[in-house]
Amino acid sequence: MSGGFNRLLEAVVRIDVREVSFEQGARRFVAGVGSGVILSKDGLVLTNAHVASPYAVEISITLPSLERVSAQLVGWDHWTDLALIRLDLDEVRRRGLTFQHAAFGDSDKLFVGETVYAVGTPYGLTRTVTRGIISNDRRYFEDDEGVRGYETGTFNNWLQTDAAINPGNSGGPLVTEDGKVVGINSRGFIGADNLGFAIPANVARRVVDELLAHGRITRSYIGLVPGTLQDLEHFYGLALNTGMLINNVDPGSPAARAGLHGGDVLLAINGQPVDGRFPEQLPPIQNLIASLPVGSTVHLDVKRGTQTLAVAVVTERLESRMGEEAAFDKWGISVRKVSRAYARENQLDSDTGVTVLGVQPGFPAAVAGLAPGDIITRVNQQPLTTLGALQEIYDKYDRSPGSLLVEVMRDRRVSLYVLKP
Amino acid sequence: MNAAARLGLLAALLLAAPLRAAPLRAADLPDLFAARVKSCVTVEFLVENELDRQPVSVLGVCVDHDGTIILPSTAIGARVSVRQLKDFKVYLPESATAYNAVYLGQDALTGWHFVRAEEKVRAQLVPITAWVQADTPEPRLGDQVWGIGLRGKDEDFRPYFLMSRVGLIEAMPQMTAIAATEVAGPGLPVFNRDGALVGLALNSFGQNYLMFSRRERGQPVVLVDVEESSVFLLNREVLPYLGRVPRDPSGRPLPWLGTFGMEPVAPDVAKFLQLENQSALVVSEVLEDSPAEKAGLKGHDIIVALDGQPLPRLKPDQAVVTYLEREIDRRLPGDKLPLTVLRDGRRLELDVTLGDEPKIIREAERRYFERLGFTIREFLYGDGVARRVKLADQRGVIVDFVKPNSPAAMSGLEFDDWIREIDGKEVKTYADAVAALSAIEADKTRTDFVLLTSRDGETAVRRVKLQ
Repeated sequence: MSGGFNRLLEAVVRIDVREVSFEQGARRFVAGVGSGVILSKDGLVLTNAHVASPYAVEISITLPSLERVSAQLVGWDHWTDLALIRLDLDEVRRRGLTFQHAAFGDSDKLFVGETVYAVGTPYGLTRTVTRGIISNDRRYFEDDEGVRGYETGTFNNWLQTDAAINPGNSGGPLVTEDGKVVGINSRGFIGADNLGFAIPANVARRVVDELLAHGRITRSYIGLVPGTLQDLEHFYGLALNTGMLINNVDPGSPAARAGLHGGDVLLAINGQPVDGRFPEQLPPIQNLIASLPVGSTVHLDVKRGTQTLAVAVVTERLESRMGEEAAFDKWGISVRKVSRAYARENQLDSDTGVTVLGVQPGFPAAVAGLAPGDIITRVNQQPLTTLGALQEIYDKYDRSPGSLLVEVMRDRRVSLYVLKP
Repeated sequence: MNAAARLGLLAALLLAAPLRAAPLRAADLPDLFAARVKSCVTVEFLVENELDRQPVSVLGVCVDHDGTIILPSTAIGARVSVRQLKDFKVYLPESATAYNAVYLGQDALTGWHFVRAEEKVRAQLVPITAWVQADTPEPRLGDQVWGIGLRGKDEDFRPYFLMSRVGLIEAMPQMTAIAATEVAGPGLPVFNRDGALVGLALNSFGQNYLMFSRRERGQPVVLVDVEESSVFLLNREVLPYLGRVPRDPSGRPLPWLGTFGMEPVAPDVAKFLQLENQSALVVSEVLEDSPAEKAGLKGHDIIVALDGQPLPRLKPDQAVVTYLEREIDRRLPGDKLPLTVLRDGRRLELDVTLGDEPKIIREAERRYFERLGFTIREFLYGDGVARRVKLADQRGVIVDFVKPNSPAAMSGLEFDDWIREIDGKEVKTYADAVAALSAIEADKTRTDFVLLTSRDGETAVRRVKLQ
């Protein structure tokens, strides 16, 4: 192998994460193993968002020298399934540890059939190298709850490889023979033979820059859900390779307020023509919209029937469906705030309330009759607009326990329960 | 236990028997049974769907000398329209002769379906009212009760004897007896030891079992006996309603309040709301332009009284929902329904005037397009409720059936999808949709057409390829 490849091997790490989970009606800790690649001398490590997330309470990195160092999360982006963590440099210096760092290659230059290697920790087997080729360099793969329940894959395509990728490879690099990182291995079809997916390096590079600069990635949202135009050009009277079908417009979104609806065809964004015939052409268009500044006006050219409309839409900040989570131990319940996107998706009147994630049998919430999936909308007849409000009620209960009247929505049906100490 | 002791126990039991209060009189049962079997029939009919015909066989009882037969409410699904019901046949027990019958409709209050048998069989039927004895006491806990079961067609609907004892009597809200074991076929009459009518069997309740198999250890399952039932309504819930023969197969008039999601409050919640020894109902949503809305009822209101009377505490809690529904259904459109509600801690009196229920699903217009492979039905008030669509925006049609592997199915169209546009043109009315789809179906040169549909609040464009 090349010298570059050998240096790369010295930059791939194993990542052990202990993170908090709210699923069972309580705050519980779960452990996971993933991979990562060191990107810089100052100890930045790139991995997957589903390996290291804000839920992590302890991240520990095993260097190729078999030394363990702790690390901190810098930021994450579930949309591209990437997270950036940083080694504890004080600890590295104090213990006199050394490591190499890897460099990105140009993922746009990859060709289908090109040999690539996946390096990582499949099933905890540290420093495993597998070999394959680029099977497809523009795979469309969107998953509404792919990263710990968070949305992913809307704004990027993926590299597909037949290099064996197993659980634990997550976050490890996909590299060319010269040791350049061309992708971050992220997922595979369980049960299929060697259908693995990686985030292209050119996407990762931009995400790394932004996470370093801001700790988060801000995207714009206007509420369009695209569909593919394939075979519909004739129906819409379109020239070939023009337009993106709008399958749905989220109710209450900026695009809906501007009067757009399903069945419209988007022709251009700020004068730039779009072409969304096939699925893999959609993420770049989505990314174009997402990359606009939040609160800016975007001019859309839209075709409806035989008419062409010019529509101005003001972008909003993109939000995940997943709200903030918390557990209330003495009630035996864990909850997630209803987000705007969740309310929209479930046709709720507003984003008031918290969703019950789990209840512990025998604890007050379960005894009262609350169940996972319920939306707690009011406590003692006061609407619950924030998670903080519920925390305040809990703190008061914690100091002096008393009965609470809890109003719950279950499949649109309103029920009352009394939560007793 | 040794043999001698066993014998001793047996002897004691035999000795005890003559001392019991009710003497054993089995001799007259065959005669009582033979006479009462004449009130019981099996009714068969067909439900005609787009692609198939589904035969249905249910038990019924004769209720008058005009050959009127009542069938349990579950005999016909709520989605099935009267036009789909075909070939009603009545079979007497122990006979293979089919007699014709006509469907008269479903009664809103009891849920019973009424059927009338043809003239020539009527003389062989005895109405269950023949077995009513004026001084019959209502059955009490432990009373012996018996009834009739009917075997299937291959056994010429042979009747057989069932007997049990009353284990529980409960207002649910109708006075319902639950016997220790199965006592009659569902829909058939129940008698006391003297042969007097005491009630009418309902569908049996589900019973909890654990299922063990080679792979599964103790999986909980609920089993329902569909041939025999241990549950029956007492006479007072049956006899006053036998004359409610629908005037029209649609079952109209249908009284209507116009709420969605009435949820009972548990006893601890009632207590918390300072409602002692009574129940209450939370109104989840008040429907647009409904009698409830016009009377000022609002979502989250808690109904505590009806006609000035507190809602009764029933078991299970859910029974109070049925209680209110029955109080509505026993009235007519235009009748009053005085409600007392709690809103933000205040008590309010609301004087609701019930309305006429908007068209329900079994009354909807439907049309099947065989070449396209799907059925549309008109958009109903209830579709707007289910989809949270305001009356002003209620247009289009609903997909009522998709034929497997048809062009419609290949396009991803599914049952219950809402069609908003056909070929880019908004569907305003059912007639619009029928006209547009008929034209497409008739045009053999058409290669495709495009639908804009909505499912779970999300729209999608679907191209249906015809060739």
